[in-house]
Amino acid sequence: MAHDINFDQVSFTYAGSETPALRGINLSIPTGEIVLITGPAGSGKTTLCSCINGLIPHYHEGELAGEVTVGPYNTRKVRVGGLASLVGMVFQDPESQLVTNSVADEVAFGPENLGIPRGEINQRVEQALKATRMTGYEEREPHSLSGGEQQACVIAATYSMHPEVYVLDEPLANLDPQGRKQVLELVVKIAKERGKTLVVVEHSLEEILPLVDRVLVMDKGQIVRDGSVAEVLKAGDIKGVFRRPDVVRLAESIRLESLPMKPEDLYRELHKKYKPGKLKNVVNQERKNGQKKPVIQLENVTYCYQEGVNALFDVSLSIHEGEFVALMGRNGSGKTTLVSHLIGLIQPSQGKVTVVGYDTRETPTHELAHYVGFCFQNPNHQIVSFNVREEMTFGLKAHNIPAEEYESRIQDALEIVNMQDFLGAEIFDLGKGQKQRIALASVLTLKPRILVIDEPTTGQDPEMAHEIFKIIKKLNDEGTTVLCITHNVELAALFATRAIVLNRGHLAYDGPINELLLAEDLMKANSLELPDITKLAKQLSPLGVPANTVKFAHMKNYLEALVEV
Amino acid sequence: MAIEYQKGKSFMHSLDARTKLLMFIGATVTAMVIIDPILMGILFISLYLLGTKAVDKKMLNSNLRVLVVIFLTFSMFQVLFFTPKDSHFLFYLIPWKQWVPVTIQGLVRGVAVFFRFFIVVLSVHLMLYTTPPVELALTITERGQQRKSLEVAGMVLALATLFFTSSMPMAMNESAFLGLTNPVLKFAALAAGSLIAAALTQKVLARGLPPEMGLALTLGFATVGILSKQTQQITNAQKARGYDIQPKNLIKRVQVLTALLIPIFLATLERSQDISIAILSRGFDYNIGARTYRREFTFHRDDFIVIGVIFVLILLGLTLKNLGLSSPTENFILSLVQ
Repeated sequence: MAHDINFDQVSFTYAGSETPALRGINLSIPTGEIVLITGPAGSGKTTLCSCINGLIPHYHEGELAGEVTVGPYNTRKVRVGGLASLVGMVFQDPESQLVTNSVADEVAFGPENLGIPRGEINQRVEQALKATRMTGYEEREPHSLSGGEQQACVIAATYSMHPEVYVLDEPLANLDPQGRKQVLELVVKIAKERGKTLVVVEHSLEEILPLVDRVLVMDKGQIVRDGSVAEVLKAGDIKGVFRRPDVVRLAESIRLESLPMKPEDLYRELHKKYKPGKLKNVVNQERKNGQKKPVIQLENVTYCYQEGVNALFDVSLSIHEGEFVALMGRNGSGKTTLVSHLIGLIQPSQGKVTVVGYDTRETPTHELAHYVGFCFQNPNHQIVSFNVREEMTFGLKAHNIPAEEYESRIQDALEIVNMQDFLGAEIFDLGKGQKQRIALASVLTLKPRILVIDEPTTGQDPEMAHEIFKIIKKLNDEGTTVLCITHNVELAALFATRAIVLNRGHLAYDGPINELLLAEDLMKANSLELPDITKLAKQLSPLGVPANTVKFAHMKNYLEALVEV
Repeated sequence: MAIEYQKGKSFMHSLDARTKLLMFIGATVTAMVIIDPILMGILFISLYLLGTKAVDKKMLNSNLRVLVVIFLTFSMFQVLFFTPKDSHFLFYLIPWKQWVPVTIQGLVRGVAVFFRFFIVVLSVHLMLYTTPPVELALTITERGQQRKSLEVAGMVLALATLFFTSSMPMAMNESAFLGLTNPVLKFAALAAGSLIAAALTQKVLARGLPPEMGLALTLGFATVGILSKQTQQITNAQKARGYDIQPKNLIKRVQVLTALLIPIFLATLERSQDISIAILSRGFDYNIGARTYRREFTFHRDDFIVIGVIFVLILLGLTLKNLGLSSPTENFILSLVQ
């Protein structure tokens, strides 16, 4: 039976909002198609997904105009539960979708709701866990799993309901590169094998474009571009809305007509069309960092949660004033544990941590907070007030800053994160990216000497992520020492000078980041994915292109030079 | 400290959640009808032995130790102020003023009460330590299964026996009962009443919680852990922003607490929205009356044995009480003294 999705002149405005989230959407997705939806934050992608599974209009209140149908059913007339048997939905944050106490219960939850007989439920659970490579996890607690495993668990839980349509709203946002690849391949495989429709919302296009049939680009509640991958890519970028992957743009700059999407394709096409010469006299742009005095020192730090389980193992390092350090490693490698030491939230089981000369064992956290600004991964855990102004003053009060300084400090901090117009706003009205920046600004009001940031780019679109790193870099240029946890190798390589890689609590690498890019085995062992440009640079290195090139502009120059020679 | 489910493979763990619930009810009822230090002691020790087999002895002890002082105080009250009219006087606690008489009955019952508290607490501990909360909620949820008529009859009969035994004193004395004076008729009326009450109770109990409520309970249990983890993260975030979260000043302490409440409030709100979206998207309101369950809960041989023991225990307690023998030790000591 066909389960085409049809949108007929659909508009939707959330209750309490003035601007419509969707405007006049006309869309039809035939059964079995794999569709990618992309677009900047707030462009209506999630709203569109919620229309397909009936959360709009049944759960989210607002004004819906037009008709949405899935197969023969009009979403207005069917309950969410009814549609759930047809449309399986996976949201961004896996943890928020896990509702039971064991993986098996989680996977069985959907079929149980559908009234499937017990024998078949057990079969489906087994199948779903096998398909998602989660066999053996039946009795594990979902919340103790790593991000990638949690995502796999949510997908298994949807798969076990045997839906006709899969709708995945940013399923990769919280995963490390290896987890991303696994999950992506998994869902595409499931959809292709069983001929199901798959709708994926995603920001970063590099990995997913080669796998989909059709791309929709959304902006301000409208579909601004719709077509096959090749059509959409050929139509070029839309500023602030849609930026094609670097490889595609590079191919364009050297006038390759075919559309290579992977670095190796570009390399091949390049050799097909041109006879590239060799580059001469290329100087590798290296950032020099004069050694200054150390502000953070870890001496043989070991930390164990319980006896015998080490989260950190004999880690020694020192970070100097003015450095920009990227802390990397796969999910669960001890990154957050390490930075928690720097402000005394955790004391080392063995060894010593010194921050600007204070032993963290002897100095309480709230005093260390004078020197170390700490930004957490989830801004919701950090925000303590209902509106922005109060939020900004809270830290100042806690640190006994004289009241006459408040105004100027708040202004400065908001200016840095480009949120000066939001001083009067309510926290509830802010989006996740905005909350993240407010959380950063509230830390900046205290003018910390050291800034520690845990995953500032989770769930942000690429432009926003870039923007946040630019802000951090600006602070670093003004003298703040920065230690930043990130999965994003590209951003780390563009902005940081030094990289520290943790592997199961051990220090796996500590040195200049552009040298890390050359250490292929080390990167692979730690689930770090080279940016596409660097992959290409590696292949072109025999021709004289520096193998650790990261910047788009540099690569463009090299390529153009190669072609002209 | 929280009583949390401990994984294990002991006898207690192997029992059905409903059996353990019945064990708790049975132990409590028995402890209420009998006031005897030796019988109570025996019951307590057998429960305790079951407990040490099921969970870590140290943990069990440390949990119980906290309560000793509180329960001893209660028992002291019993010793000091429980003085029935004809109780056997021993001595005054404050002799020169002739204040606070201590009696044999007071002492004996004091010890019995001490054990009584512990029996109730221990049986709750046993149930919670060895039963995952989700299982507890699911077993008492209506699941649309058909019961065999033999099962129903057995349950009604057992309940009727208990009701009948407990209400026997009403028919045993001289006065008229429901206008009847003939003892045979009186007992017949009582038996009929017990049967009707038992049948009604069975209907109510066998129904169980409505599935919405049962599932809400299970989802709630699954959320507790996450919320406590979130609270920890929030506290950390605040410390990191320079709040002294344990200030000496009391007013400051209240301020700190309110600062903690806002993000917890936000987190909880968000979590409940997440859950409702997640369960709706997975078909929660598909047709909840016809919902099926992956887990199957059946009684095994051990369950029936345990339920039998509980039944006999309650029946024994009630009978002893009816015969005026609910405190044999007390009677024995009194007979020695006289």
